[in-house]
Amino acid sequence: MKNIIVKFLLCVFCFALLVATAVAGDINVSAAASLREAVTELSDSFSKNSPGVKFQNNFGGSGALAKQIESGAPADLFFSANLEWMDYLKGKKLLDERNISAFAFNTLVFVGKPDLKVKTIQDVTMLDKIAIGSPKSVPAGQYAMEAFNKAGIDKKLENKLVMARDVRGCLMYADRGEVDGAFVYKTDAEQMAKNVKILFTVPQELYPRVTYPVGLTAEGSKKPEAVAFYKFLQSDESKKVLVRYGFIVR
Amino acid sequence: MELTVIAQKRLGAFSLDADFTIQGDKIGVFGPSGGGKSTMVSLIAGLNKPDRGSILLDGEPLFDSRKGLNVPPEHRRIGMVFQRPHLFPHLSTKGNLLYGYKRCTPENRKIKFDSLVEILQISHLLDRGVRYLSGGEKQRVAIGRTVLSNPRLLLMDEPLSALDDSLKFQIIPFLKNACDIFKIPYLFISHSLLEMRVMTSRVLMVADGRVTGQAEPEDLARDRMKDATGYTNLLRLGEPRRVNDVYAYRWGDRELFIADNGAPSATFFELSSRDVILFKRHPEAISARNLFKTTVISTFDMGVRMGVELRCGSEKLVAEVTKKAANQMEIKEGTEVYAAIKALSFKRLG
Amino acid sequence: MLGFTPADYSAILLSLRVAVVATLLSLPFGFAVAYLMTYRRFRGRIALDVLINLPLTLPPVVIGYLLLLLLGQNGWIGKWMLQPLGIRLIFTWKAAVIATAVVGFPLMVRSIRTGMETIDERLIQASRTLGAGWLDTIITVIVPLSVRGLIAGSILMFARGLGEFGATIIVAGNIPGVTQTIPLAIYEYVSSPRGDAMALSLCVVSIAISTAVLLFHEWLSRRTVRVD
Repeated sequence: MKNIIVKFLLCVFCFALLVATAVAGDINVSAAASLREAVTELSDSFSKNSPGVKFQNNFGGSGALAKQIESGAPADLFFSANLEWMDYLKGKKLLDERNISAFAFNTLVFVGKPDLKVKTIQDVTMLDKIAIGSPKSVPAGQYAMEAFNKAGIDKKLENKLVMARDVRGCLMYADRGEVDGAFVYKTDAEQMAKNVKILFTVPQELYPRVTYPVGLTAEGSKKPEAVAFYKFLQSDESKKVLVRYGFIVR
Repeated sequence: MELTVIAQKRLGAFSLDADFTIQGDKIGVFGPSGGGKSTMVSLIAGLNKPDRGSILLDGEPLFDSRKGLNVPPEHRRIGMVFQRPHLFPHLSTKGNLLYGYKRCTPENRKIKFDSLVEILQISHLLDRGVRYLSGGEKQRVAIGRTVLSNPRLLLMDEPLSALDDSLKFQIIPFLKNACDIFKIPYLFISHSLLEMRVMTSRVLMVADGRVTGQAEPEDLARDRMKDATGYTNLLRLGEPRRVNDVYAYRWGDRELFIADNGAPSATFFELSSRDVILFKRHPEAISARNLFKTTVISTFDMGVRMGVELRCGSEKLVAEVTKKAANQMEIKEGTEVYAAIKALSFKRLG
Repeated sequence: MLGFTPADYSAILLSLRVAVVATLLSLPFGFAVAYLMTYRRFRGRIALDVLINLPLTLPPVVIGYLLLLLLGQNGWIGKWMLQPLGIRLIFTWKAAVIATAVVGFPLMVRSIRTGMETIDERLIQASRTLGAGWLDTIITVIVPLSVRGLIAGSILMFARGLGEFGATIIVAGNIPGVTQTIPLAIYEYVSSPRGDAMALSLCVVSIAISTAVLLFHEWLSRRTVRVD
């Protein structure tokens, strides 16, 4: 009986160890959710040309990613959807200050079902439920809240806002019809929306320009392959990919 | 009261197959443990359903499998008293007593609360929580609770088995009084022949899931003469008075001298038939304190032995002698004999 | 106090409200199911037992997703029953109540069953022969003697409800002022780099409420009728 128990425990132990562990030579990337497809393609093409280099890509709300990096999560490069979270990490001395640059730009739009009678941001107050990224950690949500404040509708939207963990979460809520509409990036709407379409573009005067900075982290700057990838991101080839996905690059 | 039960029930490995009609007001259900007595009684109460059959009480059908009739227990007006009191712990004594009474229709409420409480001597317990009652008090309250629901038949499943002897014989008068005064017929289950003799006038015998017959408790007692136990006289005696070193108890129109410490009120005594010695002529001097002139009412043959039923004033007594002795003394119906009993031969019950 | 925003206060109130309503709503159903399982024999009894206990072993997000499938716009119940009646459940506080109730239901049923099973069977037989029908017996005998189980079940369910997250976030969403309960609020703060202080404050509130609930349970247990 004791024999069987020992063998069983050994099996459990071995099973637990089978978890895949990161190997040195991997590039760890933390990127805003809206960059998922673009960054994946860029990293795929980079690793094809640089054998032995593997990517571990982590996508999510930029604020949440920043917190993860601050807490010690492995990251060699960080793509944020706004300047705030990049500055935050800069303040914590976790970034290689010489290697931060503007990567891409975007615009904020409102998506909903095609037959929805919503044409301006004021119309949105008539709806029942609207999804935005949580303003505490998702830039898309922060941009949306700024627009609400500037348009004077923030009070009217109380109790109507469904908080999503990132901008793709918003889109999903809208796509599935669980909310009447969602504030997402133009690129998300164009790439991923199935049942909803862009009903209007949020006027640029209501919110700061959506800027995606990219930077090497302090630990990333020590990895030659990470530095090489960072340089690759500045290339024309890389910009072509971004444009294809609908991002603005200038 | 007339009860007809034709019922079959299977419970695991045990099967009950009953088919009987019985009349009377004080019926016993007698048999060894595990023989099916409790099962049968639960079918009569409606707590269990027979697989097949019919049950009629005073002509009214309570169950009929062919017609799909099954009167639920709350409508049968058959009360149950169990081996243990099973009082409702969340109600006071009064609350317990009135539980069934409240659920009785006004026209059926024949029993008065106050008179029953007095008969059972529980008026001082009414406001107490049932936790604070003694075993005997709880059982009296349980009896009261069931009687107050005005049942037309009372089923008692070994209600005295869990009590010690003294408590048993304290409860018996309460039970008998309550049922006598309020005219409630009952079915009394027990495996004790003594309890049968005290409580019932007719007995249904149940063993191995079957009703093996009906008898009078007295006959069952006499059958015992055939074996080692012998026949025991059950005597109900009255007020004692002290006479020197013994007590004289009222026995019908006579008195019996018994060597004990005096019982307060009416009590039961056992006297083995073997302790009654018969004399053809008046013995001049004997040590036995009790000596009566009696007449033989009947004799009954019990194998090697013979039972002699004697008339003793207003009372009866059974003596046991060997057949040889009976022949020698020419004992037969109408013969006059003297019966002697020692004061020490009596055993008090309770 | 502790720098809470109005959204945080409403999260605390919402948590309490959702947990209380879910518990009260589940009590009659929980009692009915416990009664059936304890006192009635019927086909499919084991299946019911498994179904009731399923939420105990399933990840709450699975429960949330199943509820979404069931009650959403295109859901089985949603499409045929709710939409025609104009009832919208997903992403409302009603959905939060339903999620909490479903997740906590097995806890309630278990507690009530445990209490019921200690009730002396003879008491029920006695009450039936004394003239009480099955409903009368339930109300006058079984319920009073199940009080301990009912209380224990309610407290367990309430406590579990205060902490419900997985099913709630899927089927009720994270809507401040409407469905954002304490766990959801903490989750949002935890994802935010500057949210640690607030997250901690809400944790303290959560612990304080749980402690109060447990102390209340202890006090109440001592006061209820002991079954002989």
